[in-house]
Amino acid sequence: MTHRDSHPWHVPDDQVTRYAEGTLPEPDAWSLEKHVEGCTRCASRVSAAVGGTAAGAVLAAVRAAVLEPAPAAAVAAKPVPGPAVRTPAPEAAVAARPAAGAVGRRPVVSRTARLLWAAGPAVRGAWLPAVLGVAVAAAALSYGAGFPGARALLLAIAPVVPVAGVALSYGPHADPLHEVTAATPGGGLRLALIRTVAVLAVSLPLLTLTGLLLPASGAPAAAAWLLPGLALALASLALASFVGCRAAAGVTGGGWLCAVLTPVAVAPGDAAAPRLAEQLSRCLDGVAAQGAWAAAAVLSATLLAARRPAYDRPLRP
Amino acid sequence: MGGQREKDDGSGGDAALLRAVARGDATAMAALYDRHAGWLHARLTRRCADPELVREVLQETFVTVWRSAAGHRGQEAGGWLWTIAARRLVDARRAQERAGRVAGPLPELESSGRYGSAAAPSAEDRVLAGLEYGDVGTALDRISPELREVLRATVVDGLSTREAARLLGIPEGTVKSRARRARVELREALAQLNPSPLGGTA
Repeated sequence: MTHRDSHPWHVPDDQVTRYAEGTLPEPDAWSLEKHVEGCTRCASRVSAAVGGTAAGAVLAAVRAAVLEPAPAAAVAAKPVPGPAVRTPAPEAAVAARPAAGAVGRRPVVSRTARLLWAAGPAVRGAWLPAVLGVAVAAAALSYGAGFPGARALLLAIAPVVPVAGVALSYGPHADPLHEVTAATPGGGLRLALIRTVAVLAVSLPLLTLTGLLLPASGAPAAAAWLLPGLALALASLALASFVGCRAAAGVTGGGWLCAVLTPVAVAPGDAAAPRLAEQLSRCLDGVAAQGAWAAAAVLSATLLAARRPAYDRPLRP
Repeated sequence: MGGQREKDDGSGGDAALLRAVARGDATAMAALYDRHAGWLHARLTRRCADPELVREVLQETFVTVWRSAAGHRGQEAGGWLWTIAARRLVDARRAQERAGRVAGPLPELESSGRYGSAAAPSAEDRVLAGLEYGDVGTALDRISPELREVLRATVVDGLSTREAARLLGIPEGTVKSRARRARVELREALAQLNPSPLGGTA
């Protein structure tokens, strides 16, 4: 049954009707089916006849479903199933290549979006609102309430934010499939680092910009917390390979807060803000302090690289 | 549906529609759907008693067309569409089976040819070439429904032995033996009905 330009035979009208009703006997139906594969005119006739039967409603519903979403959405939503698909597979590969102009490019956008969505449960859950909350609260405290130490307070809290993001975004508590994820080639440290980058990409610009908007009033520069933030995040990851993400974040974040806030806690009420600024200057200002943070970041990164195999197994909760 | 546009509206029209669909043209997709969805639905319904599954497979077929239209290489559009629909139906059957059964031991994974029926192409060609003759229809009516559905899956629908086995829910070995028996019985029935065209070479 090869292609012919003109078919000498066409499906008789009574066969079209009976096929649409589902009452045509098998041998005649076979001949009709084979013919319709190659004859557009008979295909239209049979389709029109089927549309006139009870199947018409189903056909209309499927038509709406097929035509409603943009092609790109259909492309993104439809993974190619396994080995059972023999013929369509190479065709799908061809179609997936962005040769088809605008249609081919759009899946890339959605893939990026999906990667960002997968960047960490924490990013789309409690953590992002928390970051926004810190930034807004700092701004409100400074401008609304006229609190002079707002930038100092923001700088004190800022390094803990990425640490908390890291702690929330990787580990058995963040991912019900963590054991499976950790065992995949893309899982483990690679995934943890991707999520850390996602956390940092949100928190670094946001908190630094907020810091710039606040009056200095004796506190260090707004960008001074970047290196400590990085060092603490890396230290958390390195430590997490021993004790799990949450405990590690508790140790590093808690340690930082203790170091910065202890002098404030023992100071009398009025002097709290200047004392905090002073303590932060000690921790953040100057080449020596920043150099020490940089060294700590490098050290943590080295330790993390050495502890990499620990991430191939599920972390402790 | 006028008879006069038969020539220029062969698979050429379909090929142009598929090219437009590959560019994301929804109007072309609508035209293609209106032309082919009806008979695809009817053909699927003849092979699957579950209307919900038929609907699902039909929709998946056209979703695949959105994706794969660029891969259409000038073959008959109807046949191309049916290939997609038949594979989708086999996949859906398999998924349904997997969901419904805890663990079904699959029959032996024999590396059979892509089309199990390729072993005896001449018999198929004869069957298909003879479909316009009344006696082939009579002969097909005489063989048992089990043999007929195997013949339909492998010969008319172009499925491989494994795909036919999944579609019909029987082991691959059974598909092979039934296809063999169907051919033998058909040949005998044809020889009885009309000894001249086929009896000599059989």
